[in-house]
Amino acid sequence: MTTLPEMRDLAQRLLSYEASTGDISEPVDSATLRVYQKLRQNLVGVAGSASFHSLASRALTLARAEDPGLSAVQLGRNGDLERIGAIEPSIKVEQDRVHEGGVILISRLLGLLFLFLGEALTLGLLRDAWPGAALDDRNSGNGRKL
Amino acid sequence: MNTEKKVTINKLPTGVPGLDEIVGGGFPEYSFNIIAGAPGSGKTTLAHQFVFANATPERPALYFTVLGESAIKMLRYQQQYTFFDPAKLPDAIRFINLSQVVLEKDLGAVLEAITKEVEKANPAVVVVDSFRTMVRQPRSDMDLQSFIQRLALSLASWQATTFLIGEYAEDELRDNPIFTVADGLFWLRQTTERNSIVRKLQIIKLRGQASVPGLHTFRITEAGVQAFSRTFGLAARKRNPPANRRLSFGVPELDKMLDGGVREGDSVLIAGSSGTGKSVLATQFIAEGIRHGEPGIVAVFEERPQAYAERASKLGLDLETPQKNGKLTILYLRPLDLSVDETMQSILDAVQKIGAKRLVIDSLAGFEMALSPGFRADFRESLYRMIFALTGIGVTILSTVEVDESFTEFPFSTYSISFLCDDIIRLRYVSLDGQLRKVMVVIKMRGGDHAKDIREYEITSKGVVISDQRLTNYQGLISGLPVHSNRTTREVHSPQDSEAKNET
Repeated sequence: MTTLPEMRDLAQRLLSYEASTGDISEPVDSATLRVYQKLRQNLVGVAGSASFHSLASRALTLARAEDPGLSAVQLGRNGDLERIGAIEPSIKVEQDRVHEGGVILISRLLGLLFLFLGEALTLGLLRDAWPGAALDDRNSGNGRKL
Repeated sequence: MNTEKKVTINKLPTGVPGLDEIVGGGFPEYSFNIIAGAPGSGKTTLAHQFVFANATPERPALYFTVLGESAIKMLRYQQQYTFFDPAKLPDAIRFINLSQVVLEKDLGAVLEAITKEVEKANPAVVVVDSFRTMVRQPRSDMDLQSFIQRLALSLASWQATTFLIGEYAEDELRDNPIFTVADGLFWLRQTTERNSIVRKLQIIKLRGQASVPGLHTFRITEAGVQAFSRTFGLAARKRNPPANRRLSFGVPELDKMLDGGVREGDSVLIAGSSGTGKSVLATQFIAEGIRHGEPGIVAVFEERPQAYAERASKLGLDLETPQKNGKLTILYLRPLDLSVDETMQSILDAVQKIGAKRLVIDSLAGFEMALSPGFRADFRESLYRMIFALTGIGVTILSTVEVDESFTEFPFSTYSISFLCDDIIRLRYVSLDGQLRKVMVVIKMRGGDHAKDIREYEITSKGVVISDQRLTNYQGLISGLPVHSNRTTREVHSPQDSEAKNET
């Protein structure tokens, strides 16, 4: 079972957007971690950390099956993503590059949100987390534009 | 007398069809309310409907979830309702989960977290779902009553209309000090009766405005909660003064027997056993109204509208055209799964939609059978409320009822509903001259004269045709087994006979 192309596309756009807007003067974070943390922050607010933790755990399990390289990544007790640096260089070092493992993980998480909350609520949540992004421009080349 | 103005309490739409009427126009603005009931009784759905009906980006709603149902699951299921507009999230409606605070801290911290969010968002509506789970945490250093009191004070000052949702069993509602704090206390319950679920809503308390007392039926559909007021929304409607107009039945001899016809606004009962022509008379009554420009409703339970119209056409009565012209609605109320108030609301909606002047309920037996078993106990009471409400606004109602043919009794109805009726017409079989024939008699006509005649009638291709002669050469006609008297011929109905009338 692989990630759906729509989810990959959306994840890639979020990751690219985050990578391109990252402030290199700030402490180093990977694009994946930044996207993940924004999603986490919003979801914990809405659904609580326990709900988020269970979703993230499921997403990571699915992602690991697709990319064994993600086996190094761990989920902390409070839902933090640990050791993500092991698979992805920091944006300070390689700003334009988005790691495949990160795309898979985020697309899995988005896939679960689409599954449980539906497209409308998930996109609403993403708009809230990335207010400057146009997520539902379906006339763009590949469906969603950031 | 003090002429200074009293404070005006605005009423917010509940978002629940039928509930505005029950609560007296809407939920009072800035009130602090509790929705209580057992799990699955519709508390969360009701709160969501209110939230979606009132939240705006300028004055949003904050929906705090605590423990219990997962917020993700709640959103997953709630968005299936038609009122759920995802576009309102997160600007107008914000879901905030407090489970971590509840698990790790105490009620003081919960209060602080709610207050912080309220100060930040300036919400018009605040919901805490479910507040009761908080008190089950062992580390609470504040009791629930104190928590609720402080929350109520805080949210009222912040001009928020608040709902707390809690799981309570019925016996917990009595003498519970928590509920004294609330301005409004709404109790939802569901019970299983035989194979059906009966849902009822009660406004136990509502400060500042008059609500409709008692238990109100409600239903949860894809549109959410729909409530059915015990007064059918007609409590505030002005009652029309009794009219003196007589409405024709479309059967000339019957009009004569009724001293010119049925009084407008009366409730008429036609009672008789199977095949005596009750439905035929009812159809003639409704068709005659349409001929006179009076829109009509026929509520049928035992056959579908198409079959009903086809049967009418065999009597030379066109019910198709008036249906197309909006002058007639034939309501087929699906059987076996109805609450009585829901059924009556459907009838009332149809009456109001086309401005109906005549209503036929064919038949009361079918009506009762269409109800869920749990509602049948309330049938007579609900029927009384509906008839009172509709005749009060000038609608003339004709109901048919099947009665068992007895040769020792002469019952009007097996439902003991004759007290609901102004006029009763009884149809029955009699054994005459070796034939099974039919006779009709007007039993009762409230406040008016009516003939005492027992008339023979036939059902023809033109409907019911009543003989212009009364049967005079038999005794004991109403027993069904008359005895031939000494008179050898049937006496012709004469003007003198018309003077022999009952005044009831």
